[in-house]
Formats: sequence, structure tokens, C-alpha cells
Amino acid sequence: MKLFNKIVGTLAVATALTMPALAQTTIVAPGQSTTGTYMDYMKTVYDRATFAELLQVPIATFDKEFELTPMAAESWSQSEDGLTWTFKLRPGLVWSDGEPLTAEDYVFALQRAATGGYDFAWYWDFAGGIKGWKEVTEGTADVSTLGLKAVDDLTIEVTTVAPKPYLPSVTSLWYPVPKHVVDKLGDDWALNVDTVVSSGPFDLESWEKSNNSVVLTKSDTYTGPWQAQIDRLEVDPSLGAPEVGLPAFLAGDADYSFLNTGQVPVATQRYPDGIRKNAVFATSYISYDLDSAPFNDVNVRRAFYYAVNRAELTSTVLKDIAIPAGSILPPGYPGYNPDIAAEAVFDPEKAKQYMADAGFANGEGFPEIEIWYREEGGYNGAIIPAMAQYLQAQFKDVLGITMNIRVLPGADWMDGLRNKKNNIFIAPYEYDYLDPSNFYGIFYNGGRHGYHIPEYDALVAKADSESDWDTRYKLYAEAEQIMIDQGLIVPLVHPITIAVISDTLGGDASTPNKLGFTSLDRLGHYFFTHLTKQ
Amino acid sequence: MLSFILRRLVSVAATFIIVSLIIFFMMHSIPGGPFDANDMPVSEAVRAKLMANLGLDQPLYVQYFRYMWGVLHFDFGVPYQSPGETVTQLLSRAWVPSLVLGGLGVLIGAPLGILLGMAAALNRNSWIDYLASTLATLGLTIPVFVTSMLLILVFAVWLNWLPASGWGKPERWILPIAAYALIPLATYARYTRSAMLDTLNRPFVTVLRAKGLTERRIVFQHVLRNSAIPLVTVFLPMFIGTATGSIFVEAMFRVPGLGAYFVSSIETRDYPLEMALMLMITFMYCIAYLLSDIVYALINPRIRVGGGQ
Repeated sequence: MKLFNKIVGTLAVATALTMPALAQTTIVAPGQSTTGTYMDYMKTVYDRATFAELLQVPIATFDKEFELTPMAAESWSQSEDGLTWTFKLRPGLVWSDGEPLTAEDYVFALQRAATGGYDFAWYWDFAGGIKGWKEVTEGTADVSTLGLKAVDDLTIEVTTVAPKPYLPSVTSLWYPVPKHVVDKLGDDWALNVDTVVSSGPFDLESWEKSNNSVVLTKSDTYTGPWQAQIDRLEVDPSLGAPEVGLPAFLAGDADYSFLNTGQVPVATQRYPDGIRKNAVFATSYISYDLDSAPFNDVNVRRAFYYAVNRAELTSTVLKDIAIPAGSILPPGYPGYNPDIAAEAVFDPEKAKQYMADAGFANGEGFPEIEIWYREEGGYNGAIIPAMAQYLQAQFKDVLGITMNIRVLPGADWMDGLRNKKNNIFIAPYEYDYLDPSNFYGIFYNGGRHGYHIPEYDALVAKADSESDWDTRYKLYAEAEQIMIDQGLIVPLVHPITIAVISDTLGGDASTPNKLGFTSLDRLGHYFFTHLTKQ
Repeated sequence: MLSFILRRLVSVAATFIIVSLIIFFMMHSIPGGPFDANDMPVSEAVRAKLMANLGLDQPLYVQYFRYMWGVLHFDFGVPYQSPGETVTQLLSRAWVPSLVLGGLGVLIGAPLGILLGMAAALNRNSWIDYLASTLATLGLTIPVFVTSMLLILVFAVWLNWLPASGWGKPERWILPIAAYALIPLATYARYTRSAMLDTLNRPFVTVLRAKGLTERRIVFQHVLRNSAIPLVTVFLPMFIGTATGSIFVEAMFRVPGLGAYFVSSIETRDYPLEMALMLMITFMYCIAYLLSDIVYALINPRIRVGGGQ
């Protein structure tokens, strides 16, 4: 033991002596996933390495108030017919190896995504509506037919199948890929620290693949908006679990940590000024297989809609981690309509009446059902299991029915949903781009749940391509009214995440927005470039 | 002895093949594949392309033979989770922290446990005996993530002597190694105590005492050696159990080791890595038990398994 101590002591002294005296500001932050494959957002989104997106500059992105801000693009414009968008890039942007960043790098990024098995390819069809996207991804058309063109070094032209008034907000996930490097190394460019080049506010210093942790440094070649105000950013996804993150935060090893429900009271008491809440733009809802009994009866679905006491659910079992959801859109999200949300009330009498109308007075004759939810980490992991049990008791109490609960791994749950292997699910959804079409698209023409409601589809299609915002807003409200009347879903809750941040952190990103929420790394580009440390 | 070892080696090979078959087919019988867990599924065309790239479009038996043929040549494939390297490279990278932690944990915990167990056996019903029993019981019953949490709370948060978690600097090793060491310490303390008590009551000890040997010689030369057999039985398997990484300790202390890969390879349907990990563990356990048997025979000639000459 003595010998061991000596060895450890010697090593510690040696390490201390060889460490240069650093007067740099370093922020240690939790990451999201402990596994990651490519340091390239345009190769894989779901399996990307930690904060791959912070290395690159998107066309545009959102600030803390969710205002769209031009980044690589200086400006954009829409053609008369609404089908073509022209993005003008900022001159002078370069890759970290000194090569100029051009329109070609953005076009190449999407061309490769369309042909290379990009796991986020659906986004550019579903959200972007880029002309020819579907055909190219399915291999029935050549990549040259895509509605994408680099007109010159600084001009990108995007053509969509229908007018997409919100296309600029879709470009917040459009990052460039260094064509000159990929031409040489192929996709492997994004596997080694030495070959990764960046175009955004941060460079990659190191990457520990065993837990997907990275060290990013402030870029000295990035000339665009939102330059980093810190020198180094250490991101360790192992800190993402509040059980690991909070002890590290308390010991001074991390600058902020997410909190689980048990930790909230303690942290609030110790750091009353350090608590930050974030409304995740996400919704948990109940969905059905509309084609099979008993949920093929609209009365049954309406009964479920009125049988949930959301206020009680969020003030008791889900205290501090969720707020009631009356609409598929979360509050603060573009297009959120308080009148629609107000319709989702708890009305046991109405619920009972609908059950009786369906022929199941007091739940008599109603088959035993099983609600399926998927195993989740993060905020969903804290919310859904508890909520499922609450709903089980609530439905027994209000509707007189027996609902069992089954938890499935992600792949099995998706399989069940897609292939209608069960008739009732708890489904969580988090936004992908900031426009109402994102959430309404979930139920559009088959979508995630295999719903086909012609009136709904027609309204959503019309709203999606409408360029006047007020008209769109109205059309989406009408579409959601159909969802309510048909009982397509039961909106349940919107998650809230809570974090505690160190008082050494400053800058605009450390304070809440007008709605009282602080997005932290959910708005990575904004957050890490508007954060300072004393 | 040689024919015993040879026979055991044949059975190791058979175990290896049977385990590989079971793991392979079990792994593929879990619903879903590496590209199915995402919320928005990739299109059929994209999926087919991805599956073909990984050879997953082939019939299962073809995949099995291909994989095992590779294994014979020490080629365990490319992990889906880390496409830039081979499974072998990944293991040799991620295993180092686990080996340091687990190895030091056992090497520190086991001798301490033996000492504690001896002290307890020699001072039966004294305070040291009670202390040893209490420590051993706590060490075995409290889950390691709770002891990890307590260590962090006391030494990092309250006393602020050590970092709460992390890796790379030696001072960050201390807490996880301590958490690791508790398990062998507790196990060994218990085994040693009961084995020693058992041996101390044997007639030959009385004979030794009658011959006038010092107590110290009796204990260290005779009792300890005769008590070593049960300890050997637990030592190697325990070493392997800890040296292949603990999901909990590594997660609590943010150690970039092998532990997390056991979970993530199953979750992400990373077939090559999952197979490699399982085969590696199988192989190591087989070898560990083989070595244990050999060491038995060396310690106690009466246990030459199979009645060797």
C-alpha cells in the first residue's frame, strides 16, 4: 500500500509539473450520448460524436428567444412562385485548414446525405421538401436531379416540391461537409482528430471514443457571427446522467449538471440562483391504432381525452419535471394556440358519457388493454414510467377499465407502432425544426402512426405551403380541432428539464429567456458561444 | 498432468464453440437491428444499403461462419459503434482503464481481505473479528454503486480531497479503485476466515502444536497453505469479473473503460463487438478455471484431478 501511495504520489507530482500553467477558461459540460461514431452531423445524426455540430457553421440557427439568426448565410430570399430559395453566404468563411468554405460544401453535404444512407435523410424530405429528395434517396433518380445548386461560391439555390415558407428554419440543421477533405479521405475524415476540419466556432482538440467525450477549443479561423467566448470546452457524456453529473458539480469538477427529480429540492436549496429550467419543445401523448377495436370507435378515444387530470398529474407525480399538455404544440413554440390547448380539460362526467355512448357504460364489456411505452433515458425516462402508472389508476377510476403497462426497448416499440402490433401507445416526440408543420407532420398522411384522416391531411398540406403566417396559424388550428374531434391523440405533458449551473458561468446564455426558460445545450450553437466563465 | 491439461483444453474449445453458437443466434433473435431504434426510420432503400454494407443481408449461418472464420484469424470485425477501428483495436484501447482499475482493485483488495480474514480467524470473537464480519457483510450486501456514491460524497464533496470522477490523472484512480477493491476485500475476508478456522481445528494442527512449533510457523507455513484452496477457487474468476470492467463503477466514476460497451453493444445491436466481448469472457473464464485446477494440484497433490499419477 505504501509503495502504491508512493507511485501514485510520484505520478501525481510528475503530472502536475508537466502541466503548463494555463490561464485559459475551460468549461466542463455534460454531453448527451456515451456512444458516437462519426464526428460529422451530415453523416449520422443519431450516432454522431459528441457535439459534432458545434464544429460546423449551419446556414442559420436560433437564439435564446428562438429567433432565427443567419449564420453562414448573410441573407436569403424566396422566388415569386415560392418554390425556390436563394441563400447568400457570408464572404470570408474558411475551413480550419485554411481552405475557403463555399456553397459547394453545403450542396455536397446534402448530395452525399441523399445518397449515402444518412439516418436523418427523412428530415430533408419531411421538413425540407427538397425537390427530388425521395427519388434520390430511394435510388430511382440521379443525385444531379436534386433541387440543390451551388450557383457560385457564395450562392446556394434550393428548390422545393411545394412552397415551404419555413425553409430557412429548416436550414438550422444544414451543416457543411469539407468536400476537399472527403474527396481525399472519404467518410473516414470524421473518425480521427487529426483529419477532422471545422468551419464553426470550435475546433476539435481531442476525442475519447470510449465514452464519446471531447475537448473543443475556440476556433481561431472562424470569422462568422457568434464567436466562442471561452477557450476550451470539455464535454463528457458520462456527466449527462444527473447521478454522476451532480456529485461532480458539487465537487467542482463540472460547471453545470442536469438534475433528476430527487435532486431538485437539494439543489434548489443550496443554489437558489443557479437553477435553470428548460421547456423542451416536446410532447408526450397517447396514440392509437385507429383501425382496431376498441379504439376504432371515436367515442372511446374521446372518453380517454377527457379522462386525464393533467393538472394533478404534473403537480403530484411529475412535480417539477413536466407541465400539462393541451395541444400537440408546446407553449412558446411557433403556432402554439392557447384556445386549442384550453379544450383539453379533465371532465370525468363527459368521459363516462362517451364510454356509455360507445357501449361500455362504467367500463363494462371493455376489453383489458395494454399500453406500450419505450425504455428511455433523459427526461422521458423520468416522466413516462411514472405517468403510465398514473394513467393506469386514472383510467380505472374514471373509465372503469383495466389497462396494463408494458415497457419495450426502442426498436421493439417502434416495430409495434409501425406494424400496429398493439392498439394504444404512449408516444413522446421532440421537435426537429421550429415550425408547426413539424408536429402536425407526425400525423400527416400516414406519418408516424399510420393515421389517414383526409380532412386533416388537406388542412395540413394547405397550411404547410401557405406563406401568410396568420392564415397558416388558422389552418393549423383547424387541423388540430379535427384531431380533437376525432380523438386522434390524448396530449399528456410537455417535459421540463432542470439543471443547476455554477455561479462562475456568465454571459447571455446563462440567463433565462423572456418565457423564463434557459435552453442550455439544446441550443448548442447559441449556448456555447454566449457563455463566459470567470 | 499433461493429459489432464490437454483434456481440459479440448473442453475449452468445445465450450467456446457452443457458447459462440448460443450467443450468435440469441443476439440475432432479439427483434430489431442496428438501424431500427431511431424515431424516424430510415427508408427501405437506405436501410438495405446500410445492411448490405455490414454483410447483414446474408443468411444467418453464412454470417456465423464468416464471423467465426475471422475469429480463428483473430479478426473480430469492425464495431458498428466505432467504424474507424477494428474490434481488436477498440478492446485494446478500452480495456486498459478497466484492467488498471479491476487489476489494482483485486490486487489491493484480495491481500487486505486475506489479512483481515486471518486476523479475524486468529482472534475469534474479538473486536477485530466483528469488524471483519461487519466489513465483509457490508461489502457484499451494499451494491457497488451505493458505495461509489458514498465514497464520492465523503472524499470529493465533503472533504474535497479527491476529484469526484474522471480519468487520466492518477488521483482520479483512487476512488474507483477503492470502490472496486471492496468486493474482493469482503469476499476474501469471509473465505479466509472460515477456511482458516476450519484448518485450525484439524488434528494435524494439534500435532504441530504438540511438536512445539511456534504459533507463527504453524499459521504461516501450514494453516495458510492448507486454507488456500477455496481462495484459489475464487481468485481467478473474481479477477476476470473485475478486470473486464464494471458497468457501475465505470459509469459512476466516468472511466472510459470496457464496462459500458457490454450494454451499448447490446442496445445498439453492435453484433461484432457483442460477439467479441462474450467470446473473450468465455475464453478467459475457461482459462481461469483451468489455471485454478492446475494451481490446486500444485498446492495439494491429493487433488490431482482425474487421479493423475
